[in-house]
Amino acid sequence: MLLKLNNISKSFEEKVAVHNLSMDIQAGLIYGIIGPNGAGKTTTIRMVMNITIPDSGEVLYKDKKIDESFKNIVGYLPEERGLYKKLTLAETIRYMGMLKNKSSKEISSKIDYWLKRVDLIEYKDKKVEELSKGMAQKLQFITTVIHDPEIIILDELFSGLDPLNMEVIKSIILEMKRSGKTILFSTHVMEQAEKLCDNICMIAGGEKVLDGKLADIKEDFGRNSIHLEFEGDGSFINEISGIKSVIDFNNYKELVLEKERDTNSILKQIADKVTVKKFDIVDPSLYDIFIEKAKQASLSAPATAKEIG
Amino acid sequence: MSKFWVIFVREYLNIVKKKAFLAGVILTPLIMIAFMVLPSLLGDLDLSEAESIAVIDFSGQKVGEQFIEAIKEYDLDDDNNPAYSNLSLIEIDYFDSSSFIAAKDSLNEMVIDEELKFLLVIENDSTRQPSSTSLITNSDNFPSIRRFERELTAIISGIKLNHAKINLPVDSVLSLTERIDLEIVNTTGDSVNPRTKLIFAFTSIMILFMTLMTYGQLLMRSIIEEKNSRIMEVLISSVSPFQLMMGKIVGFGAATLTQVMIWILMGSVLSLFGSMFSAELSLGQILFNPVIIIFYVLLLVFGFFLFSTFFALLGALFDSDKDAQNFLLPITLLLMVPILLSGPIIREPDSTLAIVLSMIPVFAPTMMTMRIVLIVPTLAEYSLFSGIIGQAIVSLVILIITTIGMIWLVGKIFRVGILMYGKRPTLPEIVKWVKQ
Repeated sequence: MLLKLNNISKSFEEKVAVHNLSMDIQAGLIYGIIGPNGAGKTTTIRMVMNITIPDSGEVLYKDKKIDESFKNIVGYLPEERGLYKKLTLAETIRYMGMLKNKSSKEISSKIDYWLKRVDLIEYKDKKVEELSKGMAQKLQFITTVIHDPEIIILDELFSGLDPLNMEVIKSIILEMKRSGKTILFSTHVMEQAEKLCDNICMIAGGEKVLDGKLADIKEDFGRNSIHLEFEGDGSFINEISGIKSVIDFNNYKELVLEKERDTNSILKQIADKVTVKKFDIVDPSLYDIFIEKAKQASLSAPATAKEIG
Repeated sequence: MSKFWVIFVREYLNIVKKKAFLAGVILTPLIMIAFMVLPSLLGDLDLSEAESIAVIDFSGQKVGEQFIEAIKEYDLDDDNNPAYSNLSLIEIDYFDSSSFIAAKDSLNEMVIDEELKFLLVIENDSTRQPSSTSLITNSDNFPSIRRFERELTAIISGIKLNHAKINLPVDSVLSLTERIDLEIVNTTGDSVNPRTKLIFAFTSIMILFMTLMTYGQLLMRSIIEEKNSRIMEVLISSVSPFQLMMGKIVGFGAATLTQVMIWILMGSVLSLFGSMFSAELSLGQILFNPVIIIFYVLLLVFGFFLFSTFFALLGALFDSDKDAQNFLLPITLLLMVPILLSGPIIREPDSTLAIVLSMIPVFAPTMMTMRIVLIVPTLAEYSLFSGIIGQAIVSLVILIITTIGMIWLVGKIFRVGILMYGKRPTLPEIVKWVKQ
């Protein structure tokens, strides 16, 4: 196992931010940490980064407890982005690289490559304060990977990126995965997690509620979702027995059924009252799973950390 | 290159490369020199045009006449133009006080209307001797006023001597009572002007005070800014908070030292030519004393480290300059104490109070500097184990040990504080961080 989180816990004053969280991270895979706001994602990541010290439990890298030197082989993009406004892009990249124990020379050879890669080369000697928010995001991403880290940890990776830049970053991440890097990122945008991740760990209320391969998780949930498109007053649909939860978009609903329900009878009940335009029996989306699990978690552990990210 | 050095180099260059640094290096001593030199320069300035003066002599003893004769001797410039014009003398009989008041009032009006620069009024005191003289003017021309005083002193002393019926020529009596200026000489026979020592002592601690406060606050602000711009988290995902704190403190300290070393060099060069400006400014003898310079630099450097831990602490605890600003006053006061207590210390730099204060780490940088500058130039020989040098070494050791302790303590608080946003930590919380 490359990285192992062993029952880590962290409390801030009265609030429990993370409680007894364990997670195994294998080399060469992409891991998504998902969870509602305040679930404990950032605190977990900070403990992995050795920035926050766990109250109990430990983080192991190749079976050894992590220490300061671990920081050199990790690239970390924090949720709250920050750069020195007065430095130029080249200076920024060089400084951040040198803080990862790389020599100025080693970094110099890579600055142009990376700036070209994210389309910022013409800003190389401009100051950071001249960049737009999206550009600054890309620059920060470069500083995260400039030292060729073995593990890349990205907190809320996609926040603030437009679709075009998102594609650029996504392709870099996939390329890194192919070259054997391990990527761990947190997000609350399920569509991205679903498309990118091999494994998912969901945290809610400071506790792990889901962990495993994305495919396995879906299979566990069963093929029990219906995507329904219709015309007419569909308010009654939410009340039909056998439907566990509904994600409502007015003329479009995603229904999650209780296990082994007869989909035919449900279709009949619906078709009686509204015009059905589409009736799809599908795998649950990560979004469905997320909502379902988040609801359960908030019912079972209502008093846990809400403000700690 | 270790990460500490990477941070150190960046923080150092970040300050030293700024234009404000260069401006500070050049302008600060210029302002200081201006403050010291300008008054004496201005005092020696020649008058640009003749000044008018009227004298009302109410003494009946020809003081006014002698005075006018005396100031006629003063020249405005090299062409022998007189320095004073419109020399008018009004002598009024001692019993005619109504004419005196009338004359005084009308001439007073002329001073108000700026038709007349000076109005000298000579009256007698109760023993009927001329003494209560006053000068009515709107001018602050010091050289003229000093001349008038000098001449009047001579004239009135002469008259008084005559009244006293001393059986000696007046001139010889005046020469007997000449004022003596003491030359202060130390035990090895070197002449040490106490005023020069004082100027130097105050300059030294003012530089210490200013650099510590300026760079300390810059350090505090840079930490607050890194917190607010959220670079902090990026930084400590690469380096340990302790490396970051030390890199910053030592980087800022090195910038402070650079600035002061430039000033010491500038001062040394200046003092070589000092005698050209004014004898009082020839600080050379004191400045070139290596004992003073070595201890000054050591006190400055470790003083900066100690105080920068306070500033780093404020930076780590607060999110805004405004919140942190409230806590600057105590720090300022700690540095100000020696200045506030300078009276007794100057009189007795070896008193128990002075020695005790200079051993307390927070006072040591300024207090010890002051004592060293006051005492060392008077010493014939130095001993490492006793006297001021021994005390300075003890005081430095205490300062260094305290600084190391503070760095350890603040390092613990720093580690947690820099990741806290938006909320002021309470004292019990801070204590908890230290215990962790």
